[in-house]
Amino acid sequence: MSELRKLTFGYLGLLALLALTVGSSLFDLGGFNVALNLAIAAAKAVLIAMLFMHLTGMLPRLAVAAAGLWLVILFGLTLIGR
Amino acid sequence: MSGTESVAFDTPQRERRADNFAMWVFIGSEAMLFGAIFLVFLVAHIDFGPAFAAASKHLSLPIGTLNTAVLITSSFTMALAHMLALHRRWRATVWALAATSALGICFLAVKGIEYGKEIGEGLAPLLGLPFRYAGPDPTHAEFFFGLYFAMTSLHALHLIGGIVVIAGMVALWRTASPANRLRRVVAVGLYWHFVDIIWVFMFPVLYLINR
Repeated sequence: MSELRKLTFGYLGLLALLALTVGSSLFDLGGFNVALNLAIAAAKAVLIAMLFMHLTGMLPRLAVAAAGLWLVILFGLTLIGR
Repeated sequence: MSGTESVAFDTPQRERRADNFAMWVFIGSEAMLFGAIFLVFLVAHIDFGPAFAAASKHLSLPIGTLNTAVLITSSFTMALAHMLALHRRWRATVWALAATSALGICFLAVKGIEYGKEIGEGLAPLLGLPFRYAGPDPTHAEFFFGLYFAMTSLHALHLIGGIVVIAGMVALWRTASPANRLRRVVAVGLYWHFVDIIWVFMFPVLYLINR
């Protein structure tokens, strides 16, 4: 089953990203730490969505895009006045 | 009947597509709930950065890392359950589901130990418990710990919900047709992976962002 290999690689990739994010906290990179941690979290989320959740097809992607748009508005309008 | 659980659908394919879309819309609405609480954290962090940085260092990074690994593993076993259900290997599917909920319970147990440790150190401003904090700016540190408990307990409630649904699915396993077993595994799988993604963001935000 090549599907099993794909899932296993995804799982090992997630653990490697976890090690990377914890490891990066040992080094003081200034503000870059925050950006790196959030980028790694986003990468993990994409891995989970694509490999484990099979995010394919028009309708699911539309639902995710709509949620993303509302979150951008929510965060944007809150932060814009600060 | 054509193998659909509801009479509203002509074919199992249509029912599956409707299921899938509905789950993604539900996940989108859940993302709004968690998005709002993340936003509160972000604004508070902008305003009280140094207090939050000092308070965050009181959380246990080893325990948080362990729990992240446990939850990622549970997502893997859930993905295995989905794959096995697609191949109609039902017995193995039930084992994968059982492993997933066991890992979920393991996560909650570790979280409970962590809560106990924090309560013992006087870092839990909940239910009238004494809050003892020696660091700088205790007022805003208290706010950090309030947010920490609100976010992690909301996440834990979602995990408990997932575990209960898996238990119900396994209990009704023998009465469900193969098509409905697959539908349920797919739906609860999407939910479980979403709860995992929430933790994937909570972990760096709460434990790492200030280190």
